[in-house]
Amino acid sequence: MKINTEKVSFVEPLALESGEILHGFDLMTETYGELNYAKDNAVLVCHAFSGNHHAAGKRDGEKKPGWWDELIGDGKTIDTRNYFVVAVNNIGGCHGSTGPATPNNESNQFSGASFPEVSVSDWVKTQKLLADHFRIDCWEMVAGGSLGGMQALQWAISYPNRVKKAAIIAASSKISTQNIALNEVAREIIKKDEDFHNGDYLSKDVSPKKGLKAARMLGHITYLSESNMSKRFGRRLQDPKNKIDADVNYEVENYLQYKGEQFANTFDANSYILMTKAMDSFDPAKDFDNDLIKCLQNIQAKLLVISFDSDWLFPKEYGIEIQMSAIKAGIDSSYIELEGDYGHDSFLFYSEQYSVALTNFLKSDG
Amino acid sequence: MDNTLKLIVLDWIPSQSKVIDFGCGDGALLKILSEQKSIIGYGVENDPDKINACIINGVSVIQQDIDAGIHNYKGMGFDVAVMASSIQCLRKPRDAMKNILKVANECVITLPNFGNWELRLGILNGKMPSSAQLPAKWYETKNLHLCTIADFEELCREESFTIKKNVYLNRKGKSSWLANKLPNLFAAQAVYLIG
Repeated sequence: MKINTEKVSFVEPLALESGEILHGFDLMTETYGELNYAKDNAVLVCHAFSGNHHAAGKRDGEKKPGWWDELIGDGKTIDTRNYFVVAVNNIGGCHGSTGPATPNNESNQFSGASFPEVSVSDWVKTQKLLADHFRIDCWEMVAGGSLGGMQALQWAISYPNRVKKAAIIAASSKISTQNIALNEVAREIIKKDEDFHNGDYLSKDVSPKKGLKAARMLGHITYLSESNMSKRFGRRLQDPKNKIDADVNYEVENYLQYKGEQFANTFDANSYILMTKAMDSFDPAKDFDNDLIKCLQNIQAKLLVISFDSDWLFPKEYGIEIQMSAIKAGIDSSYIELEGDYGHDSFLFYSEQYSVALTNFLKSDG
Repeated sequence: MDNTLKLIVLDWIPSQSKVIDFGCGDGALLKILSEQKSIIGYGVENDPDKINACIINGVSVIQQDIDAGIHNYKGMGFDVAVMASSIQCLRKPRDAMKNILKVANECVITLPNFGNWELRLGILNGKMPSSAQLPAKWYETKNLHLCTIADFEELCREESFTIKKNVYLNRKGKSSWLANKLPNLFAAQAVYLIG
């Protein structure tokens, strides 16, 4: 599989949904496979909350491959022998694209907390500029899970004639009150870290890692399911030799400590807050008198909405709501509910039914 | 669904209508309807293999148990609902019929006729009968409420379901003189347009 990692710079100012202007920006991108002569074999994959442009393959020295490696590659669900797959790190992120932790061009200062609020539709706008950059007139498919699924939906709404198929996986047309509440707890935990300094921690050369870690531990629980946690950890006690923290008793505690710490070392706190805010505010129907049906009416892409039975963060009712609105709007849309062992995170992992559905959808006539 | 049946349904369903097919199988009927009559179609199906067939056929499909879901499609602007050879598999066919007529203005229903002479002979023989329309053994059939043409039409009268059109097909799937003269005895299948 041909992998190409590239930072693409855009110099034109970008008008954000918030009304603020971003004076040029960088997008960190990774592509897999090759764009054909007709440029009609391109697939955009959009990352979820903490993902990035590294969707597949393994870099030198890396323990784990990209976040959707189980589905993207030669001979895999999204077969890179036939498709040119594009992944980006969204703006506001912290993996190479312009965000709160990248130094400002003019002042060379980190924008930190003053980095403007970005939205799902802003991300889609930047991804559209990237499509222009690659001279891709129309994506064969835009796909993503969770916050990535919201981008896939937004693509179909924002640019009806530039996407043929949209796979909206483990996502919703807006998140629930409970999800906003959980996000707010995570933000509060970060903000209360003494090293947060109202978001200006980078200029003080510190990082609110403790807060970030605890926020991630909370988040991580919501990405799994109760049965999955029981199966994986049960009530087994942690082997004292591998304890991350002396106070840890159970394996599940140690696991969360480990995951939280790993995350805190690689993620930026301002990005965390920004991404959760983007998720909270996602509601494409708000521009259509809060009428989702009206909002979906102009879609020309074919939709595939997928929910997982063990997902309690984005339960199947959300997928069904999109599907039912799509039917009322009279647009092409299918809905399937899959068994998933991993709760909300099920969208990340291969299962035969999941793979067959996506492959068939990708192959079906546009 | 065999060809004669497809042609009948194709003839009955108006162009550019919005159609829902309960128990749509591999989506073949919806595919033909959208190709030849430019309908907007949705299938409801619960079998994962059949759902995948729909997706590859480019047919919009919703994964759902029909028993649990017909009423969910009320108020969605469907012109026609189709229920081909699945009414007898539902837990409450009468309620399902009532609900279908709230989902769409008209519905196309196809029915295997349990009154057909071949099946009557099977019963006379002391065994659960089988035929081309009802091939499954008693222990693995999905049919819960088999009925004869006479039974079904009686239900329609009782519930004031108007039979707008009907066609009776013989064992070969053809509309024959005999099957139309004495449908309850000689038809293997009945097709109705109900309003």
